[in-house]
This record gives sequence, C-alpha cells and structure tokens, in this order.
Amino acid sequence: MRQLSTLLAANLREALRSLYGARLRTLLGLIGIMIGVASVIAMISTGEIATAQSRKQFEALGTDLLVVRKSDDLMTAAARRRGVAIGLDDALEVAAALPSVAAAAPRIQLRGGVVYRSKRVDSGAIQGVAASFAGVNKLQVAEGRFVSDLDVDRHYCTVGADIANAMRRRGAEAVVGEFLEIDRRLFTVVGALESMRENYALPFQLAANESVFVPITTAHRISPSDEIGLIAARVQAGVHYTVAVRDVQTYFRQRTPGLEVEVTSAEQLIEQMESQLGLMTLLLGAVGSISLIVGGIGIMNIMLISVAERREEIGIRRALGASRGDIQRQFLIEATILTLGGGTAGLVFGMGATYAICQYTEWDFFISPVSVIAGIGVSTVIGVFFGFQPAYQAARLDPIAALQG
Amino acid sequence: MKGGIAVLGLVDITKSYKLGTLNIEVLRGISLEVAKGDLLSIMGPSGSGKSTLMYIIGLLGRPTTGSYFLNGHDVRSMNDRELSAYRNANIGFVFQSFHLLGHLTALENVAVPLAYRGVGRGEARRRARAILEKVGMGERTGHKPGQLSGGQKQRVAIARALVGQPSVLLADEPTGALDTNTADEVMRLMIQLNQEEQITTVIITHDPSVARRCARQVRISDGLLHDVARPQDGGS
Repeated sequence: MRQLSTLLAANLREALRSLYGARLRTLLGLIGIMIGVASVIAMISTGEIATAQSRKQFEALGTDLLVVRKSDDLMTAAARRRGVAIGLDDALEVAAALPSVAAAAPRIQLRGGVVYRSKRVDSGAIQGVAASFAGVNKLQVAEGRFVSDLDVDRHYCTVGADIANAMRRRGAEAVVGEFLEIDRRLFTVVGALESMRENYALPFQLAANESVFVPITTAHRISPSDEIGLIAARVQAGVHYTVAVRDVQTYFRQRTPGLEVEVTSAEQLIEQMESQLGLMTLLLGAVGSISLIVGGIGIMNIMLISVAERREEIGIRRALGASRGDIQRQFLIEATILTLGGGTAGLVFGMGATYAICQYTEWDFFISPVSVIAGIGVSTVIGVFFGFQPAYQAARLDPIAALQG
Repeated sequence: MKGGIAVLGLVDITKSYKLGTLNIEVLRGISLEVAKGDLLSIMGPSGSGKSTLMYIIGLLGRPTTGSYFLNGHDVRSMNDRELSAYRNANIGFVFQSFHLLGHLTALENVAVPLAYRGVGRGEARRRARAILEKVGMGERTGHKPGQLSGGQKQRVAIARALVGQPSVLLADEPTGALDTNTADEVMRLMIQLNQEEQITTVIITHDPSVARRCARQVRISDGLLHDVARPQDGGS
C-alpha cells in the first residue's frame, strides 16, 4: 500500500535536495519572490501606518468635533440677498436646545490690530468667543483664566502664548492685569494660554497662539456687522454624528427662516481621509503585487528550465513506478518551497523596510496583519499557480522519449 | 519455456505511429509468452522495433492493438495511476546507459522504487542495502554514480531493478556501454540471479554474444517476432 504521508515526506526530501542541487537558480528564484513579498508587505503596512498616523492627528482634536458654518451655497438667492445670518443667541443656545450636542462654541473674528504699550503686536488676531470655546477646542490656560460668559460686554481678554511672549518681551512682568488696545479700545488681560500646536487636520484655523480672545458679546457689540464665522461643537457621547448634524441643520432652519448651515464633522473627515488613504494603500499594494507577479513568472521560468534539464530524471522516475501525479506533485512541491521560502524571507525584509520607513518618518511602527497574510498567501498561490504549468509539462512528458534522451 | 505459469503474455500486439499522413507500423502482430524463471533474449538490429516492444512490456508504452497480460492481468484497461503502481510492483528496468540519478548515492538510488510504493525511509534503506550486498556493491552504498565505474553503475541499476521484487527484470542492452570483461561480469550476475533466485529475465539486445547466453532466444525484425532454435554453437 502506498501511504501518502511517506510519499510526501519522500517528495519533500527530494524537492529540497534538487533545489539544493541547483543552488544558484534556487537563490535567484527566492530573491525574485522575496522582493515581491517584501514590497507588498512594506507598501501595505506603510499605507496603513500612514492612515493610522492621520487618524491619530484627528483623534487628538476629538472625533466628536462638529464645525457649523453658514452655507451660502445651500441658501436661496433671496435669502442671501436678505443677508440671513446665524443669530448670536441661537448660536449660544444650540447645546442647551439639542440633546445630541454636548457643547457648542460660536466664534466671531474681528478685524483690526492689537496694540500693546503703544506698539502693534504682530499677527494679533481677534476672536470673539463664548467661554465654551476653550473646552471645545481643548485650549489650556497657563495663567489667569479664559474669558467667561459672565464677562458679558466687558472689555476683558485672554491672550495666546505668542501674544503673551510678545508682551513679556516688551517688559510685562505678569501678563494678567496688563492692558491691550484692541480695535482702539482698551482691554484688560485676564489670562494667558499655553502654547499649542496648530492641528492641520482641523477644518478651520484655530490660530490660538497668535490670537486675543474676547467675550463674544463684547465682540458683537463692538462690531454688530461681523457675522458668526463658525460654531465649534461636540457631539453628545453615544450619539452618532449624523444625528447631531441633522439636528443642528434643522435647528437653524427653524430659528432663522432661509438660513442653511453646513456641518463638517471630524468623523466624516476621518472617513473621507481613510477612504482616500485606503485607496492609496490599495494602489501601493497593487504596485507591490506587480513585483510579486514578476517574481512568480521568475519561479515559472526556473521551474520550466528545471523540467527541461531533468527530462532524464523524470523518465527514470516514471520507469521506476512514479505516476504522472507523483511527478506533478514533486515539481509543485519544489515550486511551493521556493515561493514559501522566498515569502518568508520577504516577510522579514518587508518588516525591516517598514521599520526603516517608520524610523525615518517618526511614525509608530506596526505590521499590518493583512499584508502578512496577503504576502505569504499570495506567494503560495503564485507558487502553485506558476509552478503548475511546468509541473504539468513534466507529468505529461513521454517517459520513453525522456529515457532515450 | 520451462513450462511454468506465464508471467508475460502478449497476444497479437501492434504499434503504429502517425507521421503526418504516413502510418508507420513498428510492431506488426507480436505474440509472446514468458514463464516464471525464464531467461529470454529478444535480439534484433536497430530499427527492428525491439525498443518499442520493450517499453510496451515495461508498461511505459501502450500497444495500438492487441492484448497484454502481466501476471494474468489485462493491463490495457488500467489508467496511468494503476499502471504506474503495477509497473512499480512488477517491472525492474535495467538500461544501457544505467539511468541512475546523479545527485543520489547508490543506496538512495536503489531505494527510489520503494518510496513510490510507500515503504518508509528506514525500511527502504535496509532493503536497498541488502540487495546491494547481493550484487556485490555492499562496500559502495554511499558512493554517487559519478564515483562508480560502468560495471559498478550497472550493478547498482540491477539492484534498483530487483529491490522491489518485480515479476520481470527487463534489461535493455545491459552490456552495451561496458567493455568486454565488465560486460561478461554483468551478464554472469544476471544469469546467476536468474538461476539462483528464479528471477524472470528479458534481455533486449542487438549483440548475438549476449543473446546466445540466454536459455531462450527470439529474434525481431521488421516488427515481427521469429523463434530461434536452441543455439547451434552451444555458447552459454
């Protein structure tokens, strides 16, 4: 009785021996597959790492962030002509009126310069905000306090880190208590913020370091014509962002006839970003796969040469009782060993390359399990696929012709 | 024939090839019986069809028409897998150019047929070593074919042919690549194995001096078999 396992063990031994017999050819075949698998793994992993990195940036600002703006595009021409705008009171009451919104912070940007001790402070931007603005945008107070809703109409302000530094350079010992001239009006500084890195994933410019924050009511009184530029808001925990978006849009439509708002959510931005980066990963994977296929064709080439060179051996084995199936299996096993070996080496090199890329870009290193499965799986499939034709050819060889040389 | 049961039975075997529109008849109706323990030579010039006949007997080629019984089984109905297993069990080939696998040692070469019938590695090596000793190659089991002389290679090939205890030892010009002395040794070994172990042996040759040493001789020419009378010159 022929036992398959004994035969397989014999086939495996034979395969290793003949691969070793043709060392240089084996090595070249291994390198071909190795490069293919390594590039698939490195490309897919790098793509996924880039995605994770972007996601991390978004998550730093909170995935529950919503940004509400008036949308001229969505409004009728008539409404635009009437000058429909977001009302200050409506803006301040969003969070209280909608259970799906946890917090909302409107912002009015004022024109005009910031002057300290008779000299203009460079890049001083003026933002009229509600007290909730600090919480929603994760602003950290370094000294004093942030402007409060109790500061209604008062000329108080909180300054960003760059403004505070500029004041200190001009001799201020404590920033809090100093006076700033904003739009030709004198304001008392009640607090200063920690320096904060601008997050470019944010759908609006925060510019906290270069800004002076004043109570929104004060800003509105100084400049009634300046509209609310945006409302930064947070979605209530456990509520899907689409619900909050719909609620906010309905709310403003009801409060101000003709008003349409556009709501951008961080979650939505992340989804867009991920689908874009996903596409990029797919493309990178496709490029890697091309090299894998080239490697596979290399294996096929090597196996075809091997079959041609071993005609006599095939004839001998057939004479000694090998069936076509035995011969086919022997060559398939050799091709599979080649691709699995190359695949394993490629796995190591691909991980190494990914690690090097992460070192260079200072990204967090990880290996995408998908890429490992794809790399090893596809290389095995390629071994069987590209090994099949040569193995079939070997099995179909006429043993008589093969023996007669 | 020694009157024993027939190991081989060929009935009206023909073999023809199509070469374009041309139909080439290589074998034109061959009938032959070989009994257990026979030592038979099939002699013929090149192109007579003797190689084609050998490959049909050896289950590597199929006849165009006719019946072939091996150990009483009609082999025509077998598929490739069955035929290969049957070949493995019943046929032991010895070739003119030895056809040993160059990357394997003598021992490993002899063990190959056993691997195809699922004999474990240890057992296969044990049996291979025993048969190599029987053909006088016990001292060279670890040598590769490249390190062996022609006569030694053919002894290893004979051991490989016999390791699976086949029904027939089928030798194709077994002495064709050897010098006179070595050829004589190899012939003596085969005759000895035939006489001592009752191994049914069929030798295909074009060499009359080889054919003469066989107890039974047939001649093939133009695809037809002719019986030959007992050797007149008594040359065995």
